[in-house]
Amino acid sequence: MTAKEVVELAKKGRAYAQRTKYKEAMAYYNKALSMDPKFAECWYLRASVLIDTGKPEEALIDCDRALALNQNYSDAWSKKALALFNLERFEDAVLAATRASTLNGNDAMAWYIKGVCLDELGRSEEAQVAYGKSLELEIIQDMDAERKKVRQS
Amino acid sequence: MKTEMPLSKPIRRLITQTEEMLDTQITLHRQPDADPQGTLVDVYTYDMEKNVNVIIFPAQYIGLLKDFIIAKHCTNLLIKGAAHKKGKYQVLSYTEDSVYRGLRQIYLDALKDEARKEDKDKLPVKKLIQMLFILFTHFNDDINEVPWNAMINASVYHRMPKIRKTQLYHVMKESKNDMDEMMEQENIVPRRYFVLNKGMFYARDMFLAKTLPADELMPVLNIPQMKKFNHLEVKEMLTTRWTHTAWYQSKVFGDSMLEIVDKHLDLVEWNTPPTLDHYYELYQLGVNLSNHLLSYMTMKDWFIWEEPKHLLKAHEVKGEYEKQALKKIFGDLLGDSWGDT
Repeated sequence: MTAKEVVELAKKGRAYAQRTKYKEAMAYYNKALSMDPKFAECWYLRASVLIDTGKPEEALIDCDRALALNQNYSDAWSKKALALFNLERFEDAVLAATRASTLNGNDAMAWYIKGVCLDELGRSEEAQVAYGKSLELEIIQDMDAERKKVRQS
Repeated sequence: MKTEMPLSKPIRRLITQTEEMLDTQITLHRQPDADPQGTLVDVYTYDMEKNVNVIIFPAQYIGLLKDFIIAKHCTNLLIKGAAHKKGKYQVLSYTEDSVYRGLRQIYLDALKDEARKEDKDKLPVKKLIQMLFILFTHFNDDINEVPWNAMINASVYHRMPKIRKTQLYHVMKESKNDMDEMMEQENIVPRRYFVLNKGMFYARDMFLAKTLPADELMPVLNIPQMKKFNHLEVKEMLTTRWTHTAWYQSKVFGDSMLEIVDKHLDLVEWNTPPTLDHYYELYQLGVNLSNHLLSYMTMKDWFIWEEPKHLLKAHEVKGEYEKQALKKIFGDLLGDSWGDT
């Protein structure tokens, strides 16, 4: 199987995941990973499904696999932060979210998770800064989406 | 509540509190094409198999924008649930007779407007007739939404200080969308209704402008698109935008409606403990405020307070209601095929 075919499998899995058809998505991801275990993006995608289906421990393992292949994979750091948050490991989640937002300053989710976890740790002022940044990014994205909608109509 | 998505502390607390107080469950649902204001599918309005309420919000809202939508709909749910538990939860519905009364009044007002127009500007008769029921249902939707929206926003503002900046963004955005609504129909809709409709939204905005004080603004000034609002307080922002809309000469109606809104909502002690009694009191105030606004707009006999089921049923048969009302107004002039296509 070629690299192109593996990417196709991951794409199909993603399409199913977006429609919350997680079982089918997992089947495609598993197949892709059995063909190419060094496919970092696919580990990340599988972690997303695992989080959405309430399996944060397994998601964390997949995030770590993705990060072992690419230490600078910002989305995987962000997903890892989410998995850690769901496991109530707030200190670790803050570190992962910080790493994600350092690699990609426009990751609204990473800033938000950081805010939520800091809040949980009682570090209110720091939480407000993270929330503020997350809100800024969300608003910019929302305004862009609105503009696109207006152009299309 | 069971969710895999991250939620800020005050929001989680609010959801738990809502579930406990109403003895119900809340599920959060992300949807790519969801209404930007979110949607509440609740057990007090719809026949649900389980005692589970669903809050739907746009998939792209991942952080505080999502949190605000949840806060707003939880508050709405609390008001509905309190009304259901302590009395009767009702909404403004309509019947065949009330549709007739509404359509007839709109038609008479439309005729007055048409008489003042030059021939080239007059509405084609078919279009005028079609407009009657559309406008009627528009007011039904708005009166079931606007007074509650003002109240819910005020409640969220007082109870959730941490999401005030997010709230401000939502309010600004909603205000703009509502302001734009109906603008394209400005020359079709009878002036009186155009002004009254805009007046309702103006009153809501001005009430919120007063409720959300200036110090909360300074939001997100790193956002280039928001920079033009720098150093303006909320009231100035909203007023400035309203003054640029076409209906501003009729501001007097909006100001009168604002007085009505103030008269009712100024009675609320927003920081009182969040008990069922408190939310029931909000419900009763909302009913009184809606009635007062309807009286002001002389639409009191257009709508009736009924259980939500009644309104859902009315929506199902609205085509028939429209047809019968138009027959009563126009008699044989209308032709038998009206409304069949």
